[in-house]
Amino acid sequence: MLPTAGCVGTTGGELLELEAYAAGPLGAGATGESLRFTTSRGYDVELSMARLFVGGIYLNRSRPTSVSSDTSCTLAGTYVAEALSGLDVDLLSAQPQRFPEVGFATSERALTGEVWLSRGDVNDASDKQPILRVAGLATRADATYPFQGTLSIAQNRVPPATDAALPGAHPLCKQRVVSPIPVELTPSNGAPLLLRIDPRGMFANVEFATLDAAGSPALDAAGSPEPYQFADTTGEDQASDNLYAGMRRSVGVYSFEWMLEGEQE
Amino acid sequence: MHFSWKRGLRRGALFVIAPTCVPGAALAQAPRAREAEPTAASEAKPTAPAPAPAAPSLPSEITVRSRAATPGAGASDIRIKVGELSRVPRRRASELLELAPGVYLSNEGGEGHADRIYLRGFDAREGQDLELSVGGVPINESGNFHGNGFADTGFLIPELIQGLRVLEGPFDPRQGNYAVAGSADYQTGLEERGLSAKYSLGSFGTERALLLFGPPGASDATYGAAEIYRTDGYGQNRDAKRARAMGQYEGELGQEGSFRIGVAAYGIEYHSAGVLRQDDVDAGKRGFFDTYDTRQGGNGSRFQLAADLEQRSGGVTFQQQVFVIRRGLRLRENLTGFLLDSQAATQTPHGQRGDLFDLRVDETTYGARGFARTSTRAFGQTHALELGYYARGDDVTSHRQRVDTAGVPYKTDANIDATLGDLGIYAEATLRPVRGLSIKAGARSDLFLFDVFDRCAARSVSRPSPSDPPGDQSCLDQQRFGAHREPEQRSSTASSKLMPRATLTLGPFQDFSYSLSYGVGARSIDPVYVTQDIATPFASVEAMDGGVAYARDFENLNIAARSVFFRTHVDRDLAFSETEGRSVLGGGTTRTGWNGLVRLRGNFFDQNANVSLVRSTFDDTGFLVPYAPDLVVRSDTAFFGDLPFELGGSRVRGSVSAGAGYVGHRALPFGQRSDTIFTLDSAASASWKSFELSLEVTNVLDTRYRAAELNYVSDFRSQPLPSLVPARHFAAGAPREVLLSLGVALGGSP
Repeated sequence: MLPTAGCVGTTGGELLELEAYAAGPLGAGATGESLRFTTSRGYDVELSMARLFVGGIYLNRSRPTSVSSDTSCTLAGTYVAEALSGLDVDLLSAQPQRFPEVGFATSERALTGEVWLSRGDVNDASDKQPILRVAGLATRADATYPFQGTLSIAQNRVPPATDAALPGAHPLCKQRVVSPIPVELTPSNGAPLLLRIDPRGMFANVEFATLDAAGSPALDAAGSPEPYQFADTTGEDQASDNLYAGMRRSVGVYSFEWMLEGEQE
Repeated sequence: MHFSWKRGLRRGALFVIAPTCVPGAALAQAPRAREAEPTAASEAKPTAPAPAPAAPSLPSEITVRSRAATPGAGASDIRIKVGELSRVPRRRASELLELAPGVYLSNEGGEGHADRIYLRGFDAREGQDLELSVGGVPINESGNFHGNGFADTGFLIPELIQGLRVLEGPFDPRQGNYAVAGSADYQTGLEERGLSAKYSLGSFGTERALLLFGPPGASDATYGAAEIYRTDGYGQNRDAKRARAMGQYEGELGQEGSFRIGVAAYGIEYHSAGVLRQDDVDAGKRGFFDTYDTRQGGNGSRFQLAADLEQRSGGVTFQQQVFVIRRGLRLRENLTGFLLDSQAATQTPHGQRGDLFDLRVDETTYGARGFARTSTRAFGQTHALELGYYARGDDVTSHRQRVDTAGVPYKTDANIDATLGDLGIYAEATLRPVRGLSIKAGARSDLFLFDVFDRCAARSVSRPSPSDPPGDQSCLDQQRFGAHREPEQRSSTASSKLMPRATLTLGPFQDFSYSLSYGVGARSIDPVYVTQDIATPFASVEAMDGGVAYARDFENLNIAARSVFFRTHVDRDLAFSETEGRSVLGGGTTRTGWNGLVRLRGNFFDQNANVSLVRSTFDDTGFLVPYAPDLVVRSDTAFFGDLPFELGGSRVRGSVSAGAGYVGHRALPFGQRSDTIFTLDSAASASWKSFELSLEVTNVLDTRYRAAELNYVSDFRSQPLPSLVPARHFAAGAPREVLLSLGVALGGSP
């Protein structure tokens, strides 16, 4: 018994350090190149700038039910991985961009991913710092829509209370947390986590023509039309609302995978 | 060896050893008796106590009767007389438990918080798995919301602890609730007669004044003591102020009886540093001895009155004891930072307001115990029978709130009144069919009663009334669709448990004794788990061990040693939840291990050493039970005697002592292991005439160690987004501390 008693066995699982990266979609070029794609609404989009601030990423062991995800900012299940140092991701680059600090993980299988679009307290409604910045040109038939947008998530995104009895039914954090992102990953030692963010999914249902509602763009000093602006508030126009919704879409925009060897920047 | 009869009388130890008494056990209570002696060996071999120094003055005649000793329960039944090992520096009475094998203590809650006890592979938390008592008066607090069975020994003045009976495992029918890992009973007394005072001054602004008195001519069991203490504490937020007093009077009762009346009073106010995240310390965001939240701490009080009497009549020994205890406890702890304050739909939108909890527990405990023991001769051997009972009631109020960073309570998460009962009876027979064979078998049955009035029984509602929404209230008076309900709800239940226990002892043969023990024990379940009429409100433990003990007296040397293999199974173990801030029920666990103990005593030295190896696993997964150390080594040494010179014509006595402890890598959740811990404490003293000067140094090597290491989820806002993955936390062990004391004895022996 003596040899077997001391320091033998395990409590199960492991605590790991986690290196994390984020990148634009496969097929995107190197930094500085535009991303061209066609949306489901028939727009040919040339995206010349797309940057998203990702405050942190998480993996969770459980798949949330509709009840459990009602009002809590976090999932009921156990979190198994996190990288929290914040990264302004160039979505036009397929090249992995490293989160500045190492995160932590346990060696348990994750079924849900989360992307937190926040620079600080996820419930702080006064933090109006930009989360998404986009610019480009959309074309359909003969119409062209130079556009740009800077989206934030703050008081401007707090849904109005619909039930006086449930004033906390729609907390701001639910706007800032993209969840649940389906995954099936088990963290292991030395395997970097890669978050791919596809801006094409954000524009999937954007009707650029609705930006017209604000009037034709003025000309700038050079005589070129000033770009259409995506409104940084909810309810202004379809395009702005759907770009915001696309940024928070948990399917088709964000995906987690283990980074392959040689993929690092 | 020579026994000073007069000295024995003066110390109140005229031993009237009843036929049913175990000689060795009785010796454990005698002055200078063998210490930490394996009972199995001592049961059949009485040994004369060692000589003691002459007393300066002796009364002409005193008659004080000894108490009947509890029969031993095998090799795991350890009777420890502290004796000269009291010279080893110890700040708390709980640390004396480390004289028994396999015990390790840590404290992440501060000076006024009960120590966390690890014993024989159990993380017994603050006593939930260890039945603790002082002179039979219970210390465990039934129904304490922080942990059912929470046992704060802070009211005990270490100088008054003369001995302990540590029984590792539930092998004795006298052991009751919480005896899962085992039990420990402190025996108090004061050997020195007269008046003495001691003042201590030490590191970190520590000051202590202690008064002790014992009337000359009275027994050790008659004493009084009082203490005032303050410290700024090491690092941040570890200050404390404390006062405590203990007194007891022992008197005669008829021709063959005695009685004791004892009181204790205790109060403390303190702050606590709590735990730190290792990654924050590594990153330089916090220092090793820092704190996250300076509001952590609390206060505590205990007022206790107990009386007992023992009488021998017609060949039967009777004992009765009654006790009443009033206990108050306030704990403010923040183990998780800003993590637990989830938004509810009915609440006004809020962020994380802070996880500091403010717990108040008020408890009144009242009870009695008693037994009758008799013996008879048959087949040339003495056989014994004991019948006994234990009755205890507890009225407990627990109230816990969460407090925001501005100090305002924002949520009530417990408000419970509970009336708890534990009524147990037991019988034990000791049969000795032939010389050298003893079979001790018995059973105990306890009825646990629960009546719980939850003043906050409804905390959420899925479809609140639109016209009268509950808002931010914690304790709701409506249910689904706004239908009215009262916020309070009562539930009660009761269940009984039969617990057989037996010990077979062979020997001694050439100073060796062999024993096998088996027992079943129980721990009542936390009142918050009580559901109306749902039975089995307890966790059950089944234990067995086999051991060998050796005991021998040489001319100037007393040796006691033992080796025990053990196995323990618990069907519903407890695990501490940092998010709950309390212990919660888990699955079944099994522990197997070995421990050994050696005590050597001579005219000028006293040495106690023990080793424990244990493997603790969950039944379902086979994984290790976290936190309990699998290797614990402890050594306590004291040298004492006259120094080879005189001062002013009077001899000078001196002593040096050391205590060393080693704790192996403890298993932590997620396959982690803690650091090892090695600490060395030392002391030296010199006494001359009525004065004694002593210097104590704890953590002599100034080792920077983590007394507790924990893996769990917390978020102390060290980064913008919350940390939600388990991380390493620790409570810093104390750095080197120095304490200089000057004592003076007046009106009696020094």
